Amino acid sequence: MCVLVSLVCLVLVHSNPVDMPGRGHSEDGDSGIARSASLSSLLATPLPSPGSSSGSGCASSYQRRWLRSQATSLQHGPIPRWSTEEMFSLSDESCSSNPAMARRKKIAVSIIISLPEKEEESHSFQEFFFSHFPLFESHMNKLKTAIERAMIVCRRVAEASQRVQVYLCRVMEALGEFRMTVWNLYMAPRITEPVWLTMVSQSAERNQLCQRFLKEMSLIMDHGAKNQSVFLSALLTAVLMYHLAWVPTVMPSNHLPIKPVCQKHASHTVDLLAKSHPYNPLWAQLGDLYGALGSPVRVCRTVVVGRRRELVQRVLYVLSYFIRCSDLQENTQPPGHTDSPANPCPPQTTKPTPLSERTNEKPLTPESELTQPALFPERTNEKTLRVDFVDTSPAPVSERTREKGPVAGSAEPSPFPEVTNERLECAEVGQECFGYNNDSVGAGLEHILASQSPPVQRVKFTIGSPREAEHEERQCGLHRKLPHRLLTDIRQSESSDSSLGDSDEEEPLPRQPYTAAEMREHELPLPSSCQTESRPSVNHFGRSLLGGYCPQYMPDFALHGISSDQRLKQCLMADLEHTVLHPALDEPVAEAVCIVADTDRLCVQVATSQRRVCEPGRLGRDVMVSNLIHTLLTSVLQLHTLNIAADFCVMHLEDRLQEIYFKSCSLAEYLRGQRRVHVKELGLALGIESSDLPLLAAVASTHSPYVAQILL
Amino acid sequence: MNALVALCHFCELHGPRTLFCTEAVHPPSPSPPQPCSALLGDQGERDGEGLTMRANSSATQRADMCEGCRSLPASHPGFVSVDSETGIRYLSHQHPRQPQLFSMVRQACVRSLSCEVCPGREGPIFFGDEQHGFVFSHTFFIKDSLARGFQRWYSIVMVAMDRIYLINSWPFLLRHLKLTIQSLQSTALKVFDTEQGVCPQRAVRMNSAFSPAVFPHQRSGNAARSLTSLTQHPNLWASLHASFSWLLKACGSRLTEKLLEGAPTEDTLVLIERQTEQEEEMNAEGGGNKPQLGQSESAQGRGFLCGDDGKPEETAGPKFRSLRHLRQVLGGAEFRQLAWHVLMGNQVIWRGTDRGLIQSAFNILKALLPVGCVRVEWYSSQYEEAYRCNFLGLSPDVQIPAHVSSSGTAAITRTSTNGRGTQLLKSETRNLQLFNFLSKQPLSPTLLNKLEVALTNENLSVEVVSHCLLCLKEEWMNKVKVLFKFSKVDGRGREDTQKVLALLGATGPGEEDNVRLLKFWMTGLSKTYKSHLMTAVRGVERTLSQ
Repeated sequence: MCVLVSLVCLVLVHSNPVDMPGRGHSEDGDSGIARSASLSSLLATPLPSPGSSSGSGCASSYQRRWLRSQATSLQHGPIPRWSTEEMFSLSDESCSSNPAMARRKKIAVSIIISLPEKEEESHSFQEFFFSHFPLFESHMNKLKTAIERAMIVCRRVAEASQRVQVYLCRVMEALGEFRMTVWNLYMAPRITEPVWLTMVSQSAERNQLCQRFLKEMSLIMDHGAKNQSVFLSALLTAVLMYHLAWVPTVMPSNHLPIKPVCQKHASHTVDLLAKSHPYNPLWAQLGDLYGALGSPVRVCRTVVVGRRRELVQRVLYVLSYFIRCSDLQENTQPPGHTDSPANPCPPQTTKPTPLSERTNEKPLTPESELTQPALFPERTNEKTLRVDFVDTSPAPVSERTREKGPVAGSAEPSPFPEVTNERLECAEVGQECFGYNNDSVGAGLEHILASQSPPVQRVKFTIGSPREAEHEERQCGLHRKLPHRLLTDIRQSESSDSSLGDSDEEEPLPRQPYTAAEMREHELPLPSSCQTESRPSVNHFGRSLLGGYCPQYMPDFALHGISSDQRLKQCLMADLEHTVLHPALDEPVAEAVCIVADTDRLCVQVATSQRRVCEPGRLGRDVMVSNLIHTLLTSVLQLHTLNIAADFCVMHLEDRLQEIYFKSCSLAEYLRGQRRVHVKELGLALGIESSDLPLLAAVASTHSPYVAQILL
Repeated sequence: MNALVALCHFCELHGPRTLFCTEAVHPPSPSPPQPCSALLGDQGERDGEGLTMRANSSATQRADMCEGCRSLPASHPGFVSVDSETGIRYLSHQHPRQPQLFSMVRQACVRSLSCEVCPGREGPIFFGDEQHGFVFSHTFFIKDSLARGFQRWYSIVMVAMDRIYLINSWPFLLRHLKLTIQSLQSTALKVFDTEQGVCPQRAVRMNSAFSPAVFPHQRSGNAARSLTSLTQHPNLWASLHASFSWLLKACGSRLTEKLLEGAPTEDTLVLIERQTEQEEEMNAEGGGNKPQLGQSESAQGRGFLCGDDGKPEETAGPKFRSLRHLRQVLGGAEFRQLAWHVLMGNQVIWRGTDRGLIQSAFNILKALLPVGCVRVEWYSSQYEEAYRCNFLGLSPDVQIPAHVSSSGTAAITRTSTNGRGTQLLKSETRNLQLFNFLSKQPLSPTLLNKLEVALTNENLSVEVVSHCLLCLKEEWMNKVKVLFKFSKVDGRGREDTQKVLALLGATGPGEEDNVRLLKFWMTGLSKTYKSHLMTAVRGVERTLSQ
């Protein structure tokens, strides 16, 4: 598998600086405005409040999915959801005092990923790649930002000969980072049986699961006596406050449960919605895991830090019950099934031809491998990202990496093989940055230089083959900032600005001389779906983003554990900012949050993209323990110690979580039409303590979006 | 899937053309009216407008269409397939009928056959933007003995607004589009081989004088052959419609979500159970109109809060509007006593001539209890025993048996109305007498104390108070469940039970009342819940004994 990342290859192409008509200085400021405007419009998005009727089942999940399906629907014509800044912005804010000097360069970055030789491994990586594309893309964006910075920094270097070196070093460092992240994303250990998902998918073993879950939870609580129990309460308060996907799972349904009675059951309405108004289930799941259910949209991750591996793993296991998401099933054709409705010319309709004549015909297999797919996000932008899967022969590197341990045993096709705790090698950077001696720009390069490994032949980069950009025809129309609209101006008919069509002769729109009655189409039966089998999907975020005790901090995981927070401290703020700017969720995000639980020091902190660290050495602010959560935890565990069936204890836990949901409804109802909240009054009237208020407000914001505006 | 599929062709004479396009038309939302649905408007009408607008301008260019640029003849109305399960209609025409989609597909078509081409000119590629949609395109050649270079260039594009979804579906789309393409290619290859066998074109062309200007015209009618002629597939377009429709459907249902929602509340369960019982009774009686489950569900929105079942007819006259109103009319101390009797499961007898008034009082009072604990006799002409009803409305002349009025297990309220109409209830306070209230002090179940705090706080609206009441009831129902499990299912002893009560927060001040409340409310648990707990225990015992 190491082959994979060591063969990640960066191809950088950029042209000479060219003047960009219509992209002057003012537009840089413009993009900033557009971005903040998108946020405010998001806040103002009129989400109806399902909280107004208390028996609305999975209302908020439903709402989110329905809106998504509408926002991505074709039926209303194209509705741009947001304008993405796809370009490299290379203007140095500090230097470009003269607008006339603000010049743009055209740069393209390609990442070439060479696939493993074994077909199975190659197949699983491809499946992983495409299902996890948003995460890959987010890291591409990070790489892009780093290259931009490198461009800006190297301009400050006076001596021309050094400029390239500085630039190269920076770029190679960013590439190393990219490879390492991708490698980690694919290889890091995962929680093998996340409690919630396992309960959802296998109801048969529910009892054992409940037993184990309660046992682990009480072990954490008992361990360090009082401190530990406060620690868990604090952690759970934070987790339930930000990873909000648990809320829809406790909202009472109106339907009679089919089986097993009294337990939760799959939401029928959401199921129906998915069939009639399809949306991307992977998107929905990612949003669930990051807790992006509230308003304004916040995304959250949780990192458990600690040297005691067992304890960290135990905490992770327990949290995997509270950090929830939907389970995904994949409907696929059984292997070996070649007959597909996708085939428009099944053998019987064609004239029989002797086999010998079909010389060029290749045998059809359902798993025909990818040969040369390529991915080109829009050409019209200056940047072209391209991912090539090239089935090349393995580089000599594979020999070397195979000795490295973690990779040796992982011949199995599983995307999540157990990985030993060994610290990952820093991704090799295959080119020497010679001649570098500029201290002011070279901060952070030492470790690259120090950890140089033998040159990796597969890493190739081509930089600076200057080529005049021949396409001067950048249409202003294409770069026009579009107003951020969700569903508001569906009716507004958009003139097609068909830049390509202009140069071409217009394709005639067929004349329809028929009246509506005459236009009735010939009805054909829908081909009966070929035999499909439903199997649990492997490549979904629920399985991949709940990490185990990882050798290194992972910026993507919804949950994972690490032994030391050293790297976390280095990267966290930048990662949070990056998440807000380039959310993997494919929808605007108002705030990125990371819960950091330290099992050694028994403290829980919440770091956010909105506030800078106040005190040095601290990642964020401490979490106030919600009294509701604390009593919930203690009473569930006391029931457990009284030898009540584990299954029942978990049911009680769910009932108590439902109580929190009901309380949040009271709060929402109380705040309806209010401007300011008197915390004291809440306490007296609603039985809401100030320690519970943040939690309840967050929960309420999932069903009553106006709550956040009043409280925050 | 929110996408459309189109087959495009690079015509030798006319350049990139859209040949055939399948789109999915989704039914109106299955959900209750959404704020956005009003904006969507009548799609059909809009289609029509656009068409008449555009049709005139393009009429002159229609002559430009050659065989190769056309799929269905102009007179063909297109194809439709309906997915009966979801109501999605899959429509196929040469072009999408909606002008905006037309230009999207047009863009996708031109780009897929000009600039956005993968190396080797055959294979998959992805491009697009937020304005024109995102495109998964697969280009391919089809053999044609009469074409330049003996082949024609085609693409199948899938256009969608959800970029990530389209990329997520890449392996699936590639797998199945390859099947489609290979099938078209191999069918065309057979035709090509046959034609070459009859008349080898290479020889013909070598021998004829070649001039680029006249080359297309030399082949006159054959210059642009249709895909039907290239594959000799008579039902090609119908088959492609089926393939594309299936692809859209299968891609949309490739991944399915299993999303759990919370268990229904006890109140819901009880209501559903009662409704089922009613239905069964009616069925046993031989028919009649079955009450629809859906109807009751829609009525339940508010009904949960007050346990609204079988409400008798509305009558004119004074009424109690809310708990707070009732409290104001009765006075704090009296209300507290009455509420206490209700919560403890004592029978509440209300005597008076105004049926409407009594009914409104019961409707409000029964909201204090779980639905399963409520048994109402709205207005009876004779006394009913406490086990039959805990709310009993009586006309003033009905005698109450002596054992009831002296036992202290019933609250008897008497109202007499003299004025009719819209008179405020306040004026009748004087005529309202409460009998037989226990004078036991303090009457302090925790739930009642908390409820009173909310009721007396005038800043809280009636809605907030009912939400608070719901919270309190659910909180205590959850305690009831634990106590039921503990004492009835597991049959634990007194000492353990005390521990459980302590951890539930039922001990301390008002303990006696709390316990009494819990015991009464236990009778209101749904049968579904009780039998579930019982079977679960038996299940565990079975596994243990094995």
